[in-house]
Amino acid sequence: MARLNGPTVKALALELFDYQFSDADAASVAHIVGAMANYSRRLHAIGLAGLQPPFGYPTMRAEADRIRHNS
Amino acid sequence: MVNHAELLSFDVATLAAKFRAKEISPVEVADAYLERIELIDEKLLAYITVTADDARAAARRAETEIVAGNWRGPFHGVPIALKDLCYTRGTLTTGGSKILADFVPDFDCTLWARLREAGAVLLGKLNLHEFASGATNTNPHWGTCRNPYNLERIPGGSSGGSGAAIVAKLAAATIGTDTGGSIRIPAAFCGCVGMKQTWSRVSRYGVLPLADSLDHAGPITRTVRDAALMLQVIAGHDPHDSTSSTEPVPDYAAALTGDLKGVRIGIITELLTGLSDEVALSFNAALRELRILGTEVEEVKIANIDTASTIATNIMFAEAAEYHEQWMRTRAHEYGHDVRRMLEAGMMTPAVYYVRAQRARAAILAETMKALEKFTVLVAPTASIPAPRIDVGGRALTDSGAPVDMVASVLRFTAPFNVTGQPALAIPTGLSPGGLPLSMQFIGKPFDEATVFKVADAYERARGPLAEPKL
Repeated sequence: MARLNGPTVKALALELFDYQFSDADAASVAHIVGAMANYSRRLHAIGLAGLQPPFGYPTMRAEADRIRHNS
Repeated sequence: MVNHAELLSFDVATLAAKFRAKEISPVEVADAYLERIELIDEKLLAYITVTADDARAAARRAETEIVAGNWRGPFHGVPIALKDLCYTRGTLTTGGSKILADFVPDFDCTLWARLREAGAVLLGKLNLHEFASGATNTNPHWGTCRNPYNLERIPGGSSGGSGAAIVAKLAAATIGTDTGGSIRIPAAFCGCVGMKQTWSRVSRYGVLPLADSLDHAGPITRTVRDAALMLQVIAGHDPHDSTSSTEPVPDYAAALTGDLKGVRIGIITELLTGLSDEVALSFNAALRELRILGTEVEEVKIANIDTASTIATNIMFAEAAEYHEQWMRTRAHEYGHDVRRMLEAGMMTPAVYYVRAQRARAAILAETMKALEKFTVLVAPTASIPAPRIDVGGRALTDSGAPVDMVASVLRFTAPFNVTGQPALAIPTGLSPGGLPLSMQFIGKPFDEATVFKVADAYERARGPLAEPKL
Protein backbone atom coordinates (compact mmCIF):
# COMPACT_ATOMS: atom_id res chain seq x y z
CA MET A 1 0.00 0.00 0.00
CA ALA A 2 1.19 3.50 -0.81
CA ARG A 3 1.28 5.51 2.44
CA LEU A 4 1.20 9.00 0.99
CA ASN A 5 -0.25 11.61 3.37
CA GLY A 6 -1.08 15.29 3.32
CA PRO A 7 2.12 16.58 4.98
CA THR A 8 4.26 14.53 2.54
CA VAL A 9 2.38 15.93 -0.45
CA LYS A 10 2.71 19.46 0.93
CA ALA A 11 6.45 19.09 1.40
CA LEU A 12 7.04 17.48 -2.00
CA ALA A 13 4.97 20.08 -3.86
CA LEU A 14 6.82 22.90 -2.18
CA GLU A 15 10.27 21.43 -2.74
CA LEU A 16 9.69 20.19 -6.30
CA PHE A 17 7.37 22.81 -7.74
CA ASP A 18 7.34 25.71 -5.30
CA TYR A 19 3.63 24.97 -5.04
CA GLN A 20 1.64 25.51 -1.85
CA PHE A 21 -1.23 23.32 -0.70
CA SER A 22 -3.70 23.87 2.10
CA ASP A 23 -3.82 20.97 4.58
CA ALA A 24 -7.20 19.81 3.26
CA ASP A 25 -6.16 19.95 -0.40
CA ALA A 26 -2.92 18.11 0.32
CA ALA A 27 -4.84 15.36 2.10
CA SER A 28 -7.23 15.03 -0.84
CA VAL A 29 -4.38 14.81 -3.37
CA ALA A 30 -2.58 12.29 -1.16
CA HIS A 31 -5.71 10.13 -1.26
CA ILE A 32 -6.01 10.34 -5.09
CA VAL A 33 -2.33 9.70 -5.80
CA GLY A 34 -2.12 6.98 -3.16
CA ALA A 35 -4.99 5.10 -4.76
CA MET A 36 -3.48 5.56 -8.22
CA ALA A 37 -0.12 4.29 -7.00
CA ASN A 38 -1.74 1.17 -5.59
CA TYR A 39 -3.52 0.46 -8.87
CA SER A 40 -0.34 1.17 -10.82
CA ARG A 41 1.66 -1.33 -8.80
CA ARG A 42 -0.85 -3.97 -9.84
CA LEU A 43 -0.11 -3.32 -13.53
CA HIS A 44 2.94 -5.52 -13.03
CA ALA A 45 0.55 -8.46 -12.90
CA ILE A 46 -0.16 -7.99 -16.62
CA GLY A 47 3.33 -9.28 -17.33
CA LEU A 48 5.29 -6.33 -18.66
CA ALA A 49 8.73 -7.92 -18.77
CA GLY A 50 10.57 -6.90 -21.91
CA LEU A 51 7.89 -4.46 -23.10
CA GLN A 52 9.23 -1.16 -24.42
CA PRO A 53 7.42 2.13 -23.77
CA PRO A 54 5.91 3.55 -27.00
CA PHE A 55 8.39 6.40 -27.38
CA GLY A 56 9.63 6.09 -30.95
CA TYR A 57 13.01 7.21 -32.23
CA PRO A 58 11.51 8.12 -35.64
CA THR A 59 9.22 10.62 -33.90
CA MET A 60 12.13 12.10 -32.00
CA ARG A 61 14.10 12.55 -35.24
CA ALA A 62 11.08 14.05 -37.00
CA GLU A 63 10.59 16.51 -34.14
CA ALA A 64 14.25 17.49 -34.31
CA ASP A 65 13.93 18.06 -38.08
CA ARG A 66 10.79 20.12 -37.60
CA ILE A 67 12.44 22.32 -34.95
CA ARG A 68 15.52 22.76 -37.16
CA HIS A 69 13.44 23.79 -40.19
CA ASN A 70 11.33 26.21 -38.16
CA SER A 71 14.28 27.95 -36.49
CA MET B 1 -38.11 28.36 -51.23
CA VAL B 2 -37.08 25.97 -48.43
CA ASN B 3 -38.02 27.00 -44.89
CA HIS B 4 -35.48 27.25 -42.07
CA ALA B 5 -36.65 24.09 -40.27
CA GLU B 6 -36.08 22.07 -43.40
CA LEU B 7 -32.68 23.67 -44.06
CA LEU B 8 -31.61 22.76 -40.52
CA SER B 9 -32.78 19.18 -40.96
CA PHE B 10 -30.28 18.43 -43.75
CA ASP B 11 -27.20 16.43 -42.83
CA VAL B 12 -23.84 17.23 -44.45
CA ALA B 13 -24.29 14.73 -47.27
CA THR B 14 -27.69 16.22 -48.15
CA LEU B 15 -26.46 19.81 -47.88
CA ALA B 16 -23.56 18.97 -50.21
CA ALA B 17 -25.87 17.49 -52.84
CA LYS B 18 -28.27 20.43 -52.64
CA PHE B 19 -25.52 23.06 -52.73
CA ARG B 20 -23.92 21.39 -55.72
CA ALA B 21 -27.27 21.20 -57.53
CA LYS B 22 -27.82 24.89 -56.61
CA GLU B 23 -31.17 23.99 -55.01
CA ILE B 24 -30.28 25.90 -51.85
CA SER B 25 -27.63 28.49 -51.01
CA PRO B 26 -24.89 28.37 -48.35
CA VAL B 27 -25.94 31.90 -47.37
CA GLU B 28 -29.52 30.94 -46.50
CA VAL B 29 -28.28 27.86 -44.60
CA ALA B 30 -25.72 29.89 -42.62
CA ASP B 31 -28.45 32.44 -41.82
CA ALA B 32 -30.78 29.67 -40.64
CA TYR B 33 -28.13 28.29 -38.28
CA LEU B 34 -27.14 31.72 -36.95
CA GLU B 35 -30.78 32.56 -36.30
CA ARG B 36 -31.29 29.30 -34.41
CA ILE B 37 -28.11 29.81 -32.37
CA GLU B 38 -29.45 33.25 -31.38
CA LEU B 39 -32.81 31.73 -30.46
CA ILE B 40 -31.81 28.52 -28.68
CA ASP B 41 -28.26 28.71 -27.42
CA GLU B 42 -28.91 30.76 -24.31
CA LYS B 43 -30.64 27.62 -22.97
CA LEU B 44 -27.83 25.26 -23.91
CA LEU B 45 -24.62 27.32 -23.84
CA ALA B 46 -23.13 25.15 -26.56
CA TYR B 47 -21.14 28.08 -27.95
CA ILE B 48 -18.44 30.17 -26.33
CA THR B 49 -17.94 32.36 -29.41
CA VAL B 50 -20.23 32.82 -32.42
CA THR B 51 -18.46 34.15 -35.52
CA ALA B 52 -21.57 35.40 -37.32
CA ASP B 53 -19.97 38.02 -39.58
CA ASP B 54 -17.14 35.73 -40.66
CA ALA B 55 -19.62 32.90 -41.24
CA ARG B 56 -21.82 35.04 -43.48
CA ALA B 57 -18.77 36.23 -45.44
CA ALA B 58 -17.52 32.65 -45.88
CA ALA B 59 -20.99 31.50 -46.95
CA ARG B 60 -21.14 34.26 -49.58
CA ARG B 61 -17.71 33.21 -50.92
CA ALA B 62 -18.84 29.58 -51.06
CA GLU B 63 -22.02 30.55 -52.88
CA THR B 64 -20.07 32.56 -55.47
CA GLU B 65 -17.64 29.70 -56.07
CA ILE B 66 -20.35 27.04 -56.34
CA VAL B 67 -22.45 29.15 -58.71
CA ALA B 68 -19.32 29.62 -60.83
CA GLY B 69 -18.95 25.85 -61.02
CA ASN B 70 -16.02 25.59 -58.60
CA TRP B 71 -17.46 23.09 -56.10
CA ARG B 72 -14.69 22.02 -53.71
CA GLY B 73 -16.33 18.93 -52.22
CA PRO B 74 -18.88 17.81 -49.60
CA PHE B 75 -17.96 20.50 -47.03
CA HIS B 76 -18.15 23.44 -49.42
CA GLY B 77 -20.55 25.91 -47.82
CA VAL B 78 -21.38 23.60 -44.89
CA PRO B 79 -21.73 25.36 -41.51
CA ILE B 80 -19.61 23.71 -38.86
CA ALA B 81 -18.24 24.54 -35.42
CA LEU B 82 -15.06 23.63 -33.53
CA LYS B 83 -14.41 22.72 -29.92
CA ASP B 84 -12.83 25.81 -28.42
CA LEU B 85 -9.40 24.29 -28.05
CA CYS B 86 -8.80 24.26 -31.81
CA TYR B 87 -6.65 27.23 -32.83
CA THR B 88 -8.41 29.61 -35.21
CA ARG B 89 -6.40 32.53 -36.55
CA GLY B 90 -7.84 35.83 -35.35
CA THR B 91 -10.63 34.19 -33.33
CA LEU B 92 -10.74 33.72 -29.56
CA THR B 93 -9.61 30.24 -28.47
CA THR B 94 -10.18 29.83 -24.75
CA GLY B 95 -9.80 26.12 -24.08
CA GLY B 96 -12.87 26.68 -21.92
CA SER B 97 -10.55 28.30 -19.38
CA LYS B 98 -10.06 31.59 -17.58
CA ILE B 99 -6.34 31.37 -18.19
CA LEU B 100 -6.80 31.65 -21.97
CA ALA B 101 -9.88 33.89 -21.78
CA ASP B 102 -8.29 36.47 -24.10
CA PHE B 103 -6.13 34.18 -26.25
CA VAL B 104 -6.34 34.81 -30.00
CA PRO B 105 -4.08 32.49 -32.04
CA ASP B 106 -2.14 33.77 -35.03
CA PHE B 107 -2.50 30.53 -36.99
CA ASP B 108 -5.11 27.87 -37.71
CA CYS B 109 -4.84 24.33 -36.40
CA THR B 110 -4.30 21.93 -39.29
CA LEU B 111 -7.70 20.29 -39.08
CA TRP B 112 -9.47 23.66 -39.37
CA ALA B 113 -7.09 24.74 -42.16
CA ARG B 114 -8.13 21.59 -44.06
CA LEU B 115 -11.85 22.12 -43.44
CA ARG B 116 -11.50 25.80 -44.41
CA GLU B 117 -9.74 24.81 -47.65
CA ALA B 118 -12.59 22.36 -48.27
CA GLY B 119 -14.95 25.34 -48.12
CA ALA B 120 -16.49 24.81 -44.67
CA VAL B 121 -18.16 27.80 -42.99
CA LEU B 122 -17.16 28.34 -39.35
CA LEU B 123 -20.14 29.29 -37.16
CA GLY B 124 -18.09 29.55 -34.00
CA LYS B 125 -16.25 27.88 -31.13
CA LEU B 126 -17.90 25.40 -28.82
CA ASN B 127 -18.10 24.99 -25.05
CA LEU B 128 -16.08 22.27 -23.34
CA HIS B 129 -15.00 21.06 -19.93
CA GLU B 130 -12.16 23.39 -18.91
CA PHE B 131 -9.00 22.39 -20.85
CA ALA B 132 -10.85 19.19 -21.89
CA SER B 133 -10.10 17.89 -18.39
CA GLY B 134 -13.39 16.29 -17.40
CA ALA B 135 -16.46 14.48 -18.67
CA THR B 136 -19.36 16.67 -17.51
CA ASN B 137 -18.85 20.03 -19.28
CA THR B 138 -19.77 21.83 -16.08
CA ASN B 139 -17.65 24.88 -16.77
CA PRO B 140 -17.16 27.52 -14.06
CA HIS B 141 -15.78 30.10 -16.49
CA TRP B 142 -18.07 29.93 -19.54
CA GLY B 143 -21.21 28.35 -18.12
CA THR B 144 -22.52 24.83 -17.90
CA CYS B 145 -23.44 23.35 -21.26
CA ARG B 146 -26.74 21.43 -21.14
CA ASN B 147 -28.13 18.33 -22.78
CA PRO B 148 -30.65 19.11 -25.55
CA TYR B 149 -32.81 16.12 -24.53
CA ASN B 150 -33.09 17.32 -20.93
CA LEU B 151 -31.70 20.66 -19.79
CA GLU B 152 -31.12 19.36 -16.27
CA ARG B 153 -28.72 16.69 -17.59
CA ILE B 154 -25.07 16.96 -18.58
CA PRO B 155 -24.24 16.77 -22.29
CA GLY B 156 -21.14 14.74 -21.40
CA GLY B 157 -17.64 15.96 -22.01
CA SER B 158 -15.27 17.17 -22.52
CA SER B 159 -16.68 18.04 -25.98
CA GLY B 160 -20.14 18.80 -24.57
CA GLY B 161 -20.76 21.83 -26.76
CA SER B 162 -19.88 19.78 -29.86
CA GLY B 163 -22.43 17.08 -29.00
CA ALA B 164 -25.15 19.50 -27.89
CA ALA B 165 -24.73 21.70 -31.00
CA ILE B 166 -25.21 18.76 -33.36
CA VAL B 167 -28.36 17.45 -31.71
CA ALA B 168 -29.88 20.91 -31.19
CA LYS B 169 -29.18 21.76 -34.86
CA LEU B 170 -26.80 24.57 -34.01
CA ALA B 171 -24.21 23.25 -36.51
CA ALA B 172 -24.25 20.68 -39.31
CA ALA B 173 -21.04 19.02 -38.08
CA THR B 174 -18.58 19.66 -35.27
CA ILE B 175 -15.11 18.73 -34.12
CA GLY B 176 -14.40 17.31 -30.68
CA THR B 177 -11.34 15.84 -29.00
CA ASP B 178 -11.03 12.57 -27.12
CA THR B 179 -8.37 11.70 -24.51
CA GLY B 180 -10.39 9.28 -22.37
CA GLY B 181 -13.71 9.38 -24.22
CA SER B 182 -14.40 13.08 -24.81
CA ILE B 183 -15.81 12.63 -28.33
CA ARG B 184 -17.77 9.46 -27.59
CA ILE B 185 -19.20 10.47 -24.19
CA PRO B 186 -21.02 13.60 -25.47
CA ALA B 187 -22.06 11.66 -28.58
CA ALA B 188 -23.55 9.02 -26.27
CA PHE B 189 -25.28 11.39 -23.86
CA CYS B 190 -26.55 13.81 -26.53
CA GLY B 191 -27.56 11.18 -29.11
CA CYS B 192 -25.28 11.61 -32.11
CA VAL B 193 -22.30 9.98 -33.82
CA GLY B 194 -18.78 10.48 -32.47
CA MET B 195 -15.72 9.09 -34.21
CA LYS B 196 -12.41 8.77 -32.39
CA GLN B 197 -10.21 7.57 -35.20
CA THR B 198 -6.82 5.86 -34.83
CA TRP B 199 -4.29 7.89 -32.83
CA SER B 200 -2.07 9.87 -35.24
CA ARG B 201 -4.60 9.63 -38.11
CA VAL B 202 -5.53 13.32 -37.69
CA SER B 203 -3.02 16.08 -37.00
CA ARG B 204 -3.08 17.57 -33.50
CA TYR B 205 -1.10 20.64 -34.61
CA GLY B 206 -2.74 23.72 -33.12
CA VAL B 207 -5.07 21.77 -30.85
CA LEU B 208 -4.54 22.49 -27.15
CA PRO B 209 -3.39 19.21 -25.57
CA LEU B 210 -4.71 17.40 -22.55
CA ALA B 211 -2.36 14.41 -22.82
CA ASP B 212 -0.49 14.18 -26.11
CA SER B 213 -0.09 10.43 -26.22
CA LEU B 214 -3.83 9.85 -25.71
CA ASP B 215 -5.32 12.88 -27.53
CA HIS B 216 -7.40 12.51 -30.69
CA ALA B 217 -9.34 15.23 -32.55
CA GLY B 218 -12.27 13.97 -34.62
CA PRO B 219 -15.81 14.36 -35.95
CA ILE B 220 -19.08 14.61 -34.04
CA THR B 221 -21.95 14.42 -36.51
CA ARG B 222 -25.58 13.48 -37.10
CA THR B 223 -24.81 10.42 -39.21
CA VAL B 224 -22.05 7.91 -39.78
CA ARG B 225 -21.77 9.08 -43.39
CA ASP B 226 -21.14 12.65 -42.22
CA ALA B 227 -18.41 11.43 -39.87
CA ALA B 228 -16.81 9.55 -42.78
CA LEU B 229 -16.97 12.65 -44.99
CA MET B 230 -15.46 14.84 -42.27
CA LEU B 231 -12.66 12.42 -41.45
CA GLN B 232 -11.86 12.27 -45.17
CA VAL B 233 -11.08 15.99 -45.09
CA ILE B 234 -9.04 16.12 -41.88
CA ALA B 235 -7.13 12.80 -41.99
CA GLY B 236 -3.61 12.39 -43.30
CA HIS B 237 -0.03 13.31 -42.55
CA ASP B 238 0.82 16.85 -41.49
CA PRO B 239 4.45 18.01 -41.52
CA HIS B 240 3.63 20.28 -38.55
CA ASP B 241 2.77 17.22 -36.42
CA SER B 242 5.60 14.72 -36.48
CA THR B 243 3.41 12.12 -34.79
CA SER B 244 0.80 12.26 -37.56
CA SER B 245 0.68 9.10 -39.62
CA THR B 246 1.79 8.67 -43.22
CA GLU B 247 -0.63 5.73 -43.67
CA PRO B 248 -2.68 6.26 -46.83
CA VAL B 249 -6.22 7.56 -46.29
CA PRO B 250 -8.79 5.41 -48.12
CA ASP B 251 -12.13 6.57 -49.53
CA TYR B 252 -14.29 6.20 -46.42
CA ALA B 253 -17.62 6.89 -48.14
CA ALA B 254 -16.92 4.04 -50.59
CA ALA B 255 -16.97 1.64 -47.63
CA LEU B 256 -20.60 2.49 -46.79
CA THR B 257 -22.13 -0.31 -48.84
CA GLY B 258 -24.69 -1.49 -46.29
CA ASP B 259 -23.51 -5.04 -46.91
CA LEU B 260 -22.47 -6.82 -43.71
CA LYS B 261 -22.21 -10.30 -45.19
CA GLY B 262 -19.38 -12.19 -43.51
CA VAL B 263 -18.94 -9.58 -40.76
CA ARG B 264 -18.18 -11.01 -37.31
CA ILE B 265 -18.80 -8.85 -34.27
CA GLY B 266 -17.19 -9.53 -30.89
CA ILE B 267 -18.99 -8.26 -27.79
CA ILE B 268 -16.41 -7.40 -25.15
CA THR B 269 -17.47 -9.56 -22.20
CA GLU B 270 -15.70 -7.46 -19.57
CA LEU B 271 -17.69 -4.37 -20.62
CA LEU B 272 -21.09 -6.01 -20.08
CA THR B 273 -21.04 -5.65 -16.30
CA GLY B 274 -22.58 -2.85 -14.27
CA LEU B 275 -24.95 -1.69 -17.02
CA SER B 276 -28.15 0.12 -16.11
CA ASP B 277 -31.31 -1.69 -17.21
CA GLU B 278 -32.07 0.78 -19.99
CA VAL B 279 -28.54 0.55 -21.42
CA ALA B 280 -28.58 -3.27 -21.27
CA LEU B 281 -31.98 -3.47 -22.99
CA SER B 282 -31.07 -1.03 -25.74
CA PHE B 283 -27.65 -2.64 -26.31
CA ASN B 284 -29.23 -6.10 -26.62
CA ALA B 285 -31.79 -4.74 -29.09
CA ALA B 286 -28.94 -3.31 -31.16
CA LEU B 287 -27.17 -6.68 -31.15
CA ARG B 288 -30.37 -8.33 -32.38
CA GLU B 289 -30.51 -5.76 -35.19
CA LEU B 290 -26.92 -6.55 -36.15
CA ARG B 291 -27.75 -10.27 -36.31
CA ILE B 292 -30.74 -9.51 -38.54
CA LEU B 293 -28.34 -7.64 -40.83
CA GLY B 294 -26.48 -10.91 -41.33
CA THR B 295 -23.56 -10.55 -38.93
CA GLU B 296 -22.33 -13.20 -36.53
CA VAL B 297 -22.30 -11.80 -33.00
CA GLU B 298 -20.67 -13.47 -30.01
CA GLU B 299 -18.83 -12.59 -26.83
CA VAL B 300 -15.06 -12.31 -26.63
CA LYS B 301 -12.89 -11.89 -23.54
CA ILE B 302 -10.12 -9.30 -23.54
CA ALA B 303 -7.67 -9.89 -20.74
CA ASN B 304 -6.68 -6.93 -18.58
CA ILE B 305 -9.00 -4.45 -20.30
CA ASP B 306 -10.17 -3.40 -16.83
CA THR B 307 -6.72 -1.96 -16.16
CA ALA B 308 -7.14 0.57 -18.98
CA SER B 309 -8.75 3.23 -16.76
CA THR B 310 -5.74 3.11 -14.43
CA ILE B 311 -3.36 3.31 -17.37
CA ALA B 312 -5.24 6.21 -18.99
CA THR B 313 -5.62 8.15 -15.73
CA ASN B 314 -1.94 7.82 -14.89
CA ILE B 315 -0.84 9.03 -18.32
CA MET B 316 -3.47 11.76 -18.51
CA PHE B 317 -2.63 13.21 -15.09
CA ALA B 318 1.13 13.19 -15.69
CA GLU B 319 1.10 14.59 -19.24
CA ALA B 320 -1.47 17.26 -18.36
CA ALA B 321 0.52 18.32 -15.30
CA GLU B 322 3.65 18.69 -17.42
CA TYR B 323 1.82 20.92 -19.93
CA HIS B 324 0.24 23.09 -17.22
CA GLU B 325 3.17 23.26 -14.81
CA GLN B 326 4.11 26.89 -15.45
CA TRP B 327 0.53 28.10 -15.08
CA MET B 328 0.08 25.99 -11.96
CA ARG B 329 3.04 27.75 -10.37
CA THR B 330 1.70 31.22 -11.06
CA ARG B 331 -2.05 31.07 -11.83
CA ALA B 332 -3.40 28.01 -10.02
CA HIS B 333 -6.27 30.03 -8.53
CA GLU B 334 -7.63 30.61 -12.05
CA TYR B 335 -8.44 26.92 -12.62
CA GLY B 336 -11.76 25.36 -11.72
CA HIS B 337 -11.60 23.23 -8.58
CA ASP B 338 -11.83 19.83 -10.31
CA VAL B 339 -9.27 20.61 -13.00
CA ARG B 340 -6.85 22.08 -10.49
CA ARG B 341 -7.20 18.94 -8.37
CA MET B 342 -6.43 16.72 -11.38
CA LEU B 343 -3.32 18.76 -12.19
CA GLU B 344 -2.19 18.68 -8.57
CA ALA B 345 -2.53 14.90 -8.58
CA GLY B 346 -0.56 14.85 -11.84
CA MET B 347 2.27 16.82 -10.25
CA MET B 348 2.52 14.11 -7.62
CA THR B 349 2.34 11.15 -10.03
CA PRO B 350 5.63 9.21 -9.82
CA ALA B 351 7.49 8.88 -13.13
CA VAL B 352 7.85 5.16 -12.39
CA TYR B 353 4.10 4.70 -12.70
CA TYR B 354 3.81 6.91 -15.76
CA VAL B 355 6.40 4.83 -17.65
CA ARG B 356 4.80 1.61 -16.46
CA ALA B 357 1.42 2.79 -17.73
CA GLN B 358 2.97 3.59 -21.10
CA ARG B 359 4.55 0.13 -21.28
CA ALA B 360 1.27 -1.54 -20.42
CA ARG B 361 -0.44 -0.01 -23.46
CA ALA B 362 1.13 -2.47 -25.89
CA ALA B 363 -0.02 -5.38 -23.73
CA ILE B 364 -3.64 -4.17 -23.88
CA LEU B 365 -3.42 -3.55 -27.63
CA ALA B 366 -2.03 -7.07 -28.10
CA GLU B 367 -5.14 -8.45 -26.38
CA THR B 368 -7.60 -6.42 -28.47
CA MET B 369 -5.71 -7.33 -31.67
CA LYS B 370 -5.87 -10.98 -30.69
CA ALA B 371 -9.67 -10.63 -30.49
CA LEU B 372 -9.68 -8.90 -33.89
CA GLU B 373 -7.98 -11.90 -35.49
CA LYS B 374 -11.34 -13.63 -35.10
CA PHE B 375 -13.73 -10.67 -35.33
CA THR B 376 -14.19 -7.90 -37.89
CA VAL B 377 -14.99 -5.31 -35.22
CA LEU B 378 -15.61 -5.27 -31.47
CA VAL B 379 -18.65 -3.75 -29.79
CA ALA B 380 -19.46 -2.46 -26.30
CA PRO B 381 -21.78 0.06 -24.68
CA THR B 382 -20.33 3.59 -24.73
CA ALA B 383 -21.45 4.22 -21.13
CA SER B 384 -23.27 2.20 -18.49
CA ILE B 385 -25.84 4.94 -17.84
CA PRO B 386 -27.74 7.64 -19.75
CA ALA B 387 -26.80 11.28 -19.14
CA PRO B 388 -26.73 11.98 -15.38
CA ARG B 389 -27.92 15.16 -13.68
CA ILE B 390 -25.89 18.35 -13.59
CA ASP B 391 -24.07 19.12 -10.36
CA VAL B 392 -21.45 21.66 -9.29
CA GLY B 393 -17.67 21.37 -9.52
CA GLY B 394 -17.35 18.98 -12.43
CA ARG B 395 -19.47 16.28 -10.80
CA ALA B 396 -22.70 14.64 -11.97
CA LEU B 397 -25.54 13.11 -9.97
CA THR B 398 -27.69 10.02 -10.24
CA ASP B 399 -31.49 10.38 -10.22
CA SER B 400 -31.44 9.80 -6.46
CA GLY B 401 -28.91 12.60 -5.98
CA ALA B 402 -25.76 10.57 -5.31
CA PRO B 403 -22.51 11.52 -7.07
CA VAL B 404 -21.87 9.48 -10.21
CA ASP B 405 -18.57 7.61 -10.38
CA MET B 406 -17.61 8.75 -13.89
CA VAL B 407 -14.67 6.33 -14.08
CA ALA B 408 -16.86 3.30 -13.40
CA SER B 409 -19.84 4.53 -15.42
CA VAL B 410 -18.12 6.00 -18.45
CA LEU B 411 -14.30 5.99 -18.65
CA ARG B 412 -14.18 2.24 -18.06
CA PHE B 413 -15.93 1.85 -21.44
CA THR B 414 -14.21 4.55 -23.46
CA ALA B 415 -10.64 4.89 -22.12
CA PRO B 416 -9.42 1.44 -23.24
CA PHE B 417 -9.40 2.62 -26.84
CA ASN B 418 -7.46 5.76 -26.03
CA VAL B 419 -4.93 3.49 -24.38
CA THR B 420 -4.77 1.25 -27.49
CA GLY B 421 -5.25 4.11 -29.98
CA GLN B 422 -7.76 2.07 -32.00
CA PRO B 423 -10.66 3.65 -33.92
CA ALA B 424 -13.87 3.67 -31.88
CA LEU B 425 -17.17 5.11 -33.06
CA ALA B 426 -20.10 5.88 -30.74
CA ILE B 427 -23.58 5.61 -32.21
CA PRO B 428 -27.03 5.96 -30.61
CA THR B 429 -29.00 2.77 -30.02
CA GLY B 430 -32.23 4.52 -29.05
CA LEU B 431 -33.81 6.51 -26.24
CA SER B 432 -34.41 5.39 -22.66
CA PRO B 433 -37.96 5.28 -21.25
CA GLY B 434 -37.07 8.67 -19.73
CA GLY B 435 -36.27 10.05 -23.18
CA LEU B 436 -32.46 10.11 -22.90
CA PRO B 437 -30.10 8.84 -25.64
CA LEU B 438 -28.30 5.50 -25.23
CA SER B 439 -25.24 4.44 -27.20
CA MET B 440 -22.84 1.70 -28.21
CA GLN B 441 -19.39 1.84 -29.76
CA PHE B 442 -17.76 -0.13 -32.56
CA ILE B 443 -14.02 -0.66 -32.27
CA GLY B 444 -11.77 -1.58 -35.19
CA LYS B 445 -8.19 -2.41 -36.07
CA PRO B 446 -5.72 0.51 -36.12
CA PHE B 447 -6.16 2.55 -39.33
CA ASP B 448 -9.20 0.51 -40.38
CA GLU B 449 -11.74 3.27 -39.83
CA ALA B 450 -13.39 2.23 -43.11
CA THR B 451 -14.65 -1.05 -41.63
CA VAL B 452 -15.91 0.68 -38.49
CA PHE B 453 -17.82 3.17 -40.66
CA LYS B 454 -19.21 0.34 -42.81
CA VAL B 455 -20.65 -1.62 -39.88
CA ALA B 456 -21.93 1.48 -38.06
CA ASP B 457 -23.57 2.89 -41.20
CA ALA B 458 -25.44 -0.34 -41.89
CA TYR B 459 -26.65 -0.47 -38.28
CA GLU B 460 -27.69 3.20 -38.40
CA ARG B 461 -29.81 2.62 -41.50
CA ALA B 462 -31.52 -0.37 -39.87
CA ARG B 463 -32.08 1.50 -36.59
CA GLY B 464 -33.80 4.45 -38.27
CA PRO B 465 -33.99 8.03 -36.98
CA LEU B 466 -34.16 8.94 -33.27
CA ALA B 467 -36.98 11.11 -31.93
CA GLU B 468 -35.60 14.65 -31.82
CA PRO B 469 -35.34 16.68 -28.61
CA LYS B 470 -37.98 19.33 -27.99
CA LEU B 471 -36.29 22.66 -27.47
